[in-house]
Amino acid sequence: MSRINSGMSRRSFIGWIATAVPATRVLHAALPSSVELDHQTLVALATALLPTELGRAGLERTAREFASWVRGYRPDAELLHSYGDPVIRRAGESPAARWSLQLAELRRDHFAQRPLAERRAIAREQLANDKLDRMPSIASARHVAAGLLAFFYDSPAATDLCYRARIARNACRPLGTSARKPLPLADDA
Amino acid sequence: MKPRVIESDICIIGSGISAAMAAERLAAHGKQSIVVVEAGDEAPPLGQRYPLRQRYLDYGESPWPRDHLEDQTATGPLQSRSMQVGGLAMHWGGVTPRFSPEDFHVKSLYGVGDDWPISYEELDPFYQEAEERLGVAGEQGPPALDPRGKPFPMPALPLTYNLDLLKGWSDKAGIPFWSQPSAKNSVAYHGRSACCRSDTCFPICPVGAKYSPDVTWNALLAAGRIRLIARTLARRLVPAESGDRIEYAIANTPDRPNEPVHFRAKTFVLAGGYVWSAHLLLLSRSARYPSGIANRSELVGAYLAGHRNVGAFVKLPMKLYPGMNEQHSLVTKRFMRPGPLDKYVRHDLRIWESANGRGARLRDDAGTLMLGDEILDDWRARTATGTARIRAYYDVLPARTSALTLDPTRTNRWGDPLPTITFRDSDDSISLRAHTESEIKRVFADLARAGDGQLVGVRVDNFQDHPSGGCRMGADPESSVVDRTGRAHDHENLFIIGSPTHVTGGCANATLTFCALALMSAAEIQRAV
Repeated sequence: MSRINSGMSRRSFIGWIATAVPATRVLHAALPSSVELDHQTLVALATALLPTELGRAGLERTAREFASWVRGYRPDAELLHSYGDPVIRRAGESPAARWSLQLAELRRDHFAQRPLAERRAIAREQLANDKLDRMPSIASARHVAAGLLAFFYDSPAATDLCYRARIARNACRPLGTSARKPLPLADDA
Repeated sequence: MKPRVIESDICIIGSGISAAMAAERLAAHGKQSIVVVEAGDEAPPLGQRYPLRQRYLDYGESPWPRDHLEDQTATGPLQSRSMQVGGLAMHWGGVTPRFSPEDFHVKSLYGVGDDWPISYEELDPFYQEAEERLGVAGEQGPPALDPRGKPFPMPALPLTYNLDLLKGWSDKAGIPFWSQPSAKNSVAYHGRSACCRSDTCFPICPVGAKYSPDVTWNALLAAGRIRLIARTLARRLVPAESGDRIEYAIANTPDRPNEPVHFRAKTFVLAGGYVWSAHLLLLSRSARYPSGIANRSELVGAYLAGHRNVGAFVKLPMKLYPGMNEQHSLVTKRFMRPGPLDKYVRHDLRIWESANGRGARLRDDAGTLMLGDEILDDWRARTATGTARIRAYYDVLPARTSALTLDPTRTNRWGDPLPTITFRDSDDSISLRAHTESEIKRVFADLARAGDGQLVGVRVDNFQDHPSGGCRMGADPESSVVDRTGRAHDHENLFIIGSPTHVTGGCANATLTFCALALMSAAEIQRAV
């Protein structure tokens, strides 16, 4: 899934980058994380957080893709600067360790075995504790619940689900097809 | 240490888009040896751009790693740190409108700013040549608003479903809009593929459908027509002991820091953009040239120009599907060609699809935290209608003190003072600013009204986009740095090309004009040699 959100001009994207990623330079090597997230708990969390329309397969897929995103995160990677912003920023510390600990804690509390309403209440409490008033950028999310939410809602798949249409943001397509109204999603066709 | 000497007929300093245009023309029409000197590194080849783009999309990482020098920057509103083979145009948006005829004669027509020493009509063939070399896909606008000598080399990029709907809206306002010309292939062109609308033109086109200067450099290198020397920073221009000709350029490379490189050439072409061109000239001061090279007028670095933008969003009662191609736009030149005016105001106007304010959110209007289906339901309700982004660039007439200067307190690894850049409006521009912005907002409001829309988020950015100037052209050596062809008044074998030579910043994206001017300079270099 591509993470760069639509609706951003070139300069507003640069601004987003500036606020989304801590400027602190991490001194350890810029290697992808080897920390694995607990898949079962992650899926249980996705069930509590994400739309039911995704279905079991969609929730599983989102959890896998989120874990893959976390594995691929490179601390200290140079971020886009280019036009309009001469400041060179670098990716902050990986959230992998923090989120892995949080998932382990949820597992100890038998989160995945709890009824959906309870899981939602726990997730809601975590988000409320973070005092989030808007969707965070993924890596800056303090709690894994916020990271997962941000990950999904920033994705082209979420946009397509919202519009019930195959907009396929950031996908290559034959030039002429973009003149047509996006096709409805298969389930709606 | 004894310097390494590299000789050529023509030495081009800088490898951005203006350099590429000039080199391609010089290589095609002459037999002179050409050396291109670039301070930065090679850009990643086309084959690596898909994975680099994916890292950018997934993590916001720079798709152009190693594209800057850690100790080579400026204080002030620098447009970009990018220094690499291909320059800033490796990550430009590929938007290529021409200026309008009025841009070159604002003093004569409206009594403000300064005239250029060239006309639109004189530049037209070079605009055309630039469009053909870059590969510009464009739609001919109404001829009275969009004059051109020949058709675009490629058919226009088709309007997306969203832009087509938005054009219906703008038609209701009685303003003629058309597809923005872009250096993006609407069909396969010069060995490059057609655009696939992946919508990351900025910062990286994964398929090479958008022109970037590496295309030109690769072709010239493959043909053996140039020698391109990267990672080599030109630090001084040195004139001959007698006469005013430039004899050589001194450069250094971090790979061999103690071994200077002397580039000797019959003709020097300075293509370092609006910052590094003036910077090199000012650094090149000596007892004979205490103000630097090409600076008898004391105007090197002065009159930095650009355009300011007024932007807004319009909420419209129409269903749009943002995300199809947010980087392509509609454009009109109606307000660039206003005819006689009581009070000067000129600007372009563009329309894009937008998802602004219509993303998923965590809290509803009452501030209640949402989860699961609540977020999706809320999002769907807020995307039942659409949003357009609109923006107008207006030209800021530069003050002489809108300038690049050397800051002796900040130096690079070689001890060279680094530049400070300051943009300042001329007195004309200061007195016109409120009127200009008020008129643009009125146009925005009219446009919104025509579609039963709601104008929101109106804002004026303080930066100046597409910066230019610093070595302005003119007929009078007392009031300009170069002549109409980019030749330095003070040095017959030194040409400064592209953006630095602008007199004013115009009111549209300026890269195509940089290219046309560079080609005009190349034509003069050919004539001279």
